[in-house]
Amino acid sequence: MDPECSRLLPAFCSVLVDPRQAVADDTCLEKLLDWFKTVTEAGSSLLLLQENPCLVDLLSHVLDLKPQDVSPRVLSFSLRLAGMFAAQEDCFEYLQQGQLLLGLFGEAGPLSWAVWSVPTVRSGWIQGLKSLAQHPGGLHFLGDSGAVDALFSLQGDSSLFVASAASQLLVHVLALSMQDKAEGSPSLKGSAWPACAQKIVAHVEASLCSTTALQITQALNVLTTTFGRCHSPWTEVLWGQLSPLVAHLLDSEPVPATHSLVDLLLSVARSPVFASADCTLWETIARMLSCLSPMQTGPLALGTLKLQHCPQALRSQAFGVLLQPLACILRATAQAPGPPGLLDETTQGCSMTVDTLLSSKSACVGLLCQTLAHLEELQPLPQHPLPWPQTLLVEAVVIILRLCDGSAAPSSSEGCRLCGTLAGCIRVQRAALGFLGTLTLGTSSWELVPQVFAILLETLKSPASSPTVLKKAFQAVLHWLLDSPTPPGCSDLGPHTPLFLRELFPVLQKHLCSPCWEVRDSALEFLTHLSMCWGGEANFREVLLASDVPKLAWQLLRDPESYVRASAVTAMGQLSSQGLQAASDSPGHPEVQQGLVGELLHILSVDSEGFPRRAVTRVFTEWLRNSHADVVQDTEWFVATVLQMVSRDLDWEVRAQGLELVQVFLAQTLGQPNPSCPYAVALPKVTPPSPLPEVLRTLCQMQIFDFAFRALFDCDRPVAQKACDLLLFLRNKSAPCSGLQEAGDSSDVASVEATLERWQVGEQGQPLGSLEPEVVLAALRSMDLEGLQSRLAESSDHVEKSPQSLLQDVLATVALLEENVADCY
Amino acid sequence: MPEIRVTPLGAGQDVGRSCILVSIAGKNVMLDCGMHMGFNDDRRFPDFSYITQNGRLTDFLDCVIISHFHLDHCGALPYFSEMVGYDGPIYMTHPTQAICPILLEDYRKIAVDKKGEANFFTSQMIKDCMKKVVAVHLHQTVQVDDELEIKAYYAGHVLGAAMFQIKVGSESVVYTGDYNMTPDRHLGAAWIDKCRPNLLITESTYATTIRDSKRCRERDFLKKVHETVERGGKVLIPVFALGRAQELCILLETFWERMNLKVPIYFSTGLTEKANHYYKLFITWTNQKIRKTFVQRNMFEFKHIKAFDRAFADNPGPMVVFATPGMLHAGQSLQIFRKWAGNEKNMVIMPGYCVQGTVGHKILSGQRKLEMEGRQVLEVKMQVEYMSFSAHADAKGIMQLVGQAEPESVLLVHGEAKKMGFLRQKIEQELRVSCYMPANGETVTLPTSPSIPVGISLGLLKREMAQGLLPEAKKPRLLHGTLIMKDSNFRLVSSEQALKELGLAEHQLRFTCRVHLQDTRKEQEMALRVYSHLKSTLKDHCVQHLPDGSVTVESILIQAAAHSEDPGAKVLLVSWTYQDEELGSFLTALLKKGLPQTP
Repeated sequence: MDPECSRLLPAFCSVLVDPRQAVADDTCLEKLLDWFKTVTEAGSSLLLLQENPCLVDLLSHVLDLKPQDVSPRVLSFSLRLAGMFAAQEDCFEYLQQGQLLLGLFGEAGPLSWAVWSVPTVRSGWIQGLKSLAQHPGGLHFLGDSGAVDALFSLQGDSSLFVASAASQLLVHVLALSMQDKAEGSPSLKGSAWPACAQKIVAHVEASLCSTTALQITQALNVLTTTFGRCHSPWTEVLWGQLSPLVAHLLDSEPVPATHSLVDLLLSVARSPVFASADCTLWETIARMLSCLSPMQTGPLALGTLKLQHCPQALRSQAFGVLLQPLACILRATAQAPGPPGLLDETTQGCSMTVDTLLSSKSACVGLLCQTLAHLEELQPLPQHPLPWPQTLLVEAVVIILRLCDGSAAPSSSEGCRLCGTLAGCIRVQRAALGFLGTLTLGTSSWELVPQVFAILLETLKSPASSPTVLKKAFQAVLHWLLDSPTPPGCSDLGPHTPLFLRELFPVLQKHLCSPCWEVRDSALEFLTHLSMCWGGEANFREVLLASDVPKLAWQLLRDPESYVRASAVTAMGQLSSQGLQAASDSPGHPEVQQGLVGELLHILSVDSEGFPRRAVTRVFTEWLRNSHADVVQDTEWFVATVLQMVSRDLDWEVRAQGLELVQVFLAQTLGQPNPSCPYAVALPKVTPPSPLPEVLRTLCQMQIFDFAFRALFDCDRPVAQKACDLLLFLRNKSAPCSGLQEAGDSSDVASVEATLERWQVGEQGQPLGSLEPEVVLAALRSMDLEGLQSRLAESSDHVEKSPQSLLQDVLATVALLEENVADCY
Repeated sequence: MPEIRVTPLGAGQDVGRSCILVSIAGKNVMLDCGMHMGFNDDRRFPDFSYITQNGRLTDFLDCVIISHFHLDHCGALPYFSEMVGYDGPIYMTHPTQAICPILLEDYRKIAVDKKGEANFFTSQMIKDCMKKVVAVHLHQTVQVDDELEIKAYYAGHVLGAAMFQIKVGSESVVYTGDYNMTPDRHLGAAWIDKCRPNLLITESTYATTIRDSKRCRERDFLKKVHETVERGGKVLIPVFALGRAQELCILLETFWERMNLKVPIYFSTGLTEKANHYYKLFITWTNQKIRKTFVQRNMFEFKHIKAFDRAFADNPGPMVVFATPGMLHAGQSLQIFRKWAGNEKNMVIMPGYCVQGTVGHKILSGQRKLEMEGRQVLEVKMQVEYMSFSAHADAKGIMQLVGQAEPESVLLVHGEAKKMGFLRQKIEQELRVSCYMPANGETVTLPTSPSIPVGISLGLLKREMAQGLLPEAKKPRLLHGTLIMKDSNFRLVSSEQALKELGLAEHQLRFTCRVHLQDTRKEQEMALRVYSHLKSTLKDHCVQHLPDGSVTVESILIQAAAHSEDPGAKVLLVSWTYQDEELGSFLTALLKKGLPQTP
């Protein structure tokens, strides 16, 4: 331990046990525990206690305090600390000798004190025990001190956190007590298990037979965690012993603790111990799938279908459960008896699903949203069921969307009822659009495309669609445009796409003018994405350029909402890269003639918010990287102009992006920096590198060094870090340059160094003036850039987080006035 | 059993980060989604695993409500919606929606910049999260779905802060968020109507304090600033971009104007413009004075306060600088502090709370030698002042609000356990209202007795009216009928209508009672005596003697028969339908008393 910390510890400990001095901030204690954990993990706890006897004194003083003087915070801290120390067996014995552990964790300790009613204390007690239970000594202690019995009752604690921690600790104790005993002997009967394990199992058994749902839930939770964490052979014996009790729960009406029961069955099924088919497990799952309500079976069905190994019949049953609600929708809305639906009408559970769908709006919406989300999750998985009824699923989703937007006209009474329930339901609409988006995956049938395009257009056109629905609709359109199948022999966008695009663009135009910023922004994001993927497609270019979309996107550069301005900058940057704003270059569009570069530079210099300025620097960097026509005209002027603006920016991300721009520029003029990854593919060089002295002179003229040095001493760490990397790159590049070996005029160098020193202490008022390459290089060589780099790599709150700082804070805070302590934002 | 359940995941007996789960009539609502500024790891966010274990978040939660833009109330929102996976609606007021992303972005920049954290939400995530927000107006009833509705009330505290009423059917909960019951320089006082919720969840930051007048603190603040600049010192006021900064700006601006001072005042981040824009935009949310003077002079157009440039910090002479962030933990405020700390003529005024670990916290706790990065030690010679301008209701204000809303129960959050305990006692004793103060993770369950609306058929009402009893608005009336449940609705109808609507056949149920009388006369004679007795006793009823020897009173049938075992006794069989239960019972009792002796 740091000597400074050792020096502060006694004072800290005495503050903690002084009832007159309240410790206000428990984040401090929490962080100190983090530190103690690292200290105890790195070395001997016994030594630590021997060298710092104040720590043992703290634990015994806490026990000696009068009940009214015990601070729950300090007690909880002490319990956790004691547990950490006792995690090492020798230290455990040392503390045991003084009866400290029994005092802290035994029945006569805090367990029986008034402060036990404070959840923090109970939580500290459990956490302390959990740290302590790492070795056989600790395990015996738990058994002998009555802690296991206390844990049983804490499972039902009024605090969720305490109850959950108690369950976790029981699992930990069970696993620990079985660790050595049952390893390698799977046939070991439960009756031969260690006493502690037997006690826990007996408690679980008794709880499973209980008539109160809460106790059953607690037992199921313990088992779920056990099978999730422990994969030793003894878990198989345990399941063999308990599975009849679990199965018996299904005989009750209603089935208790269904949620926990589902979790348990899935946890068992996922355990590698049960990879070999366990018929009783599958039977129980099958029974459960058939007897629970549709809302309850959904998660079990999804979990079953996600299993790697599972009997085919069960998979079919589970898939049937997931499809049931959509099958019911299709049946209820069918205009005439048509081809077979998603499921056979006689399928089990059908009437229950229909009842749920028709019972109330919230039940119907809940079931549909859950089903759609489950299917969305299942669709991309490699283990999704086959055959996957793609066509019918698309049909079902389309009809749901039609029910939501009111365009469906079902004739059956059930259909009419659904129509009334779902009309205008945003939740279902969003869930359906989400699922529809993923339905492109693996779609081979291009006949589906027109009906999907039609409903998506309808949704986008509907004035009733909310911004969140529109966003989902745009995402679904992107999926279907970019991933939808094309008929055989069709090489480009497919037969429906051009027609769709022609209908889509007027809608997009409308949304670019929406009064909601969310809609304008989503529309711009959509445009950016689409043009990034399809900028080269003739059909797309034609439709886009014939529309007002580029013009509107341009106008949005002046949007009152900064998010929208930023998205417009990105969209225009993308369009411009693809040569897609050229068609507007007509006398009717005077703004275009100023040039997009001018407009973006204007935003960079005057926009009061960071997002648009950041977007501009990102676009410029991309343009430079991809040799955009407007940039290559005069790259040096372009870079210098951008840097001049960026260097004054208040947003550090803009300044950092400026350095990125410089990096790209240097890579193009000097060659790539050595890739940090040896397997990285070297990018092709745009132009052959120019001679170094010439380049350096240009860099000086462009004031790149001025910018980089200023950034090096930036108050924002990422900027300084980037600048440091950049200057190191330049210094290394210039090392072999013989023509510049000689340092420049020594007085110039001294003056630069003096200015840089002032910059370092934050006085950046004075400029560097015009620099010569030789002077710059001399200054660069004299700087300890490597040292700076490693300092900057360190997270800048390391001082705040340091134990000295924490201890000092605790000591200083106790003198604070009450009023300060109580304050908040 | 209908009940309201409340579980704080944050703000339960602490002021770290507010996040309270409320379950009301089967609907689940999250109130606030705050972040703890004192931690730099996952502990800064509420532990959402306790909700995710209930299945998909979006299915479980019906909505999230954010009371105001402070990070301890909204800081975890992008994490919750974009990283944990909540995809449902988020409600907040218009000003909160406008200002929230600025503060989230500000915090993100500091977290990523200073700590170099990678696993933090991004700008894009903040934007995507804000797109899920539904903005609400004050006093507008917003229908979240068919059953759940919410309504916002003015809370003072900061621009856009609101209290929310959450209502399902006749059950309701009010959540105050942070509020202020006394108007300040730019905001009004919180107000709520007498909505009598089942539960009022109120903050209790100043649960035991009666705060002094803010005027004194303001005077003190101006005096200190003035004295420092008079002697040529520089004043640094670390603030968060929005909120208190505007209040202090108004204060200084007015003072400078009055005293004709020329010393420059700067605001550092370039955010003044935007902040002021929002204050202008949401002028209706400010207090009456500002609204009134708005026509002549916009309070947020500051003549004396100029944008700050980093180079100005080195300028000689006095100046006042507002710089972000407010806890001196990064960025410009820290940079300026480092420059000015060594000069005893200068002063730093901390107008708000600082979490442990920040430079702000250290200097407030009296530490004067600070270890900075790179093992440098910064000696703080400048004067350090703390002035709390935080706008929370004090004990008096909290009691006032409870009195105003008249809840059935009160639940305290956002405060310290000890102080909450004191206030709880006060509320229970003085207002006779039960009061709870759960710790984080503890659930409070309140049973409710929901009133179930029942429709009454027109026929039944008309029948009632025909009896000449006119309804009175304030007087409850007893009405008999058949309660039927159809299409999830309850209706009270006449039994005939019930049978018709439910398609049921009518069955008649008759009750029969035997009355034993010692009498040796024949059955016919006996019946005649019964008839005469009843005829004379029941003058208002129709009593008939039928040819078969039986007697009827309305629907009640009375027959005399011989006793099977006792020849000296007779049995009267009294039978009636359920409609005449009352009369039947009366007759039975009457006959049991015996028949009058024949003269």
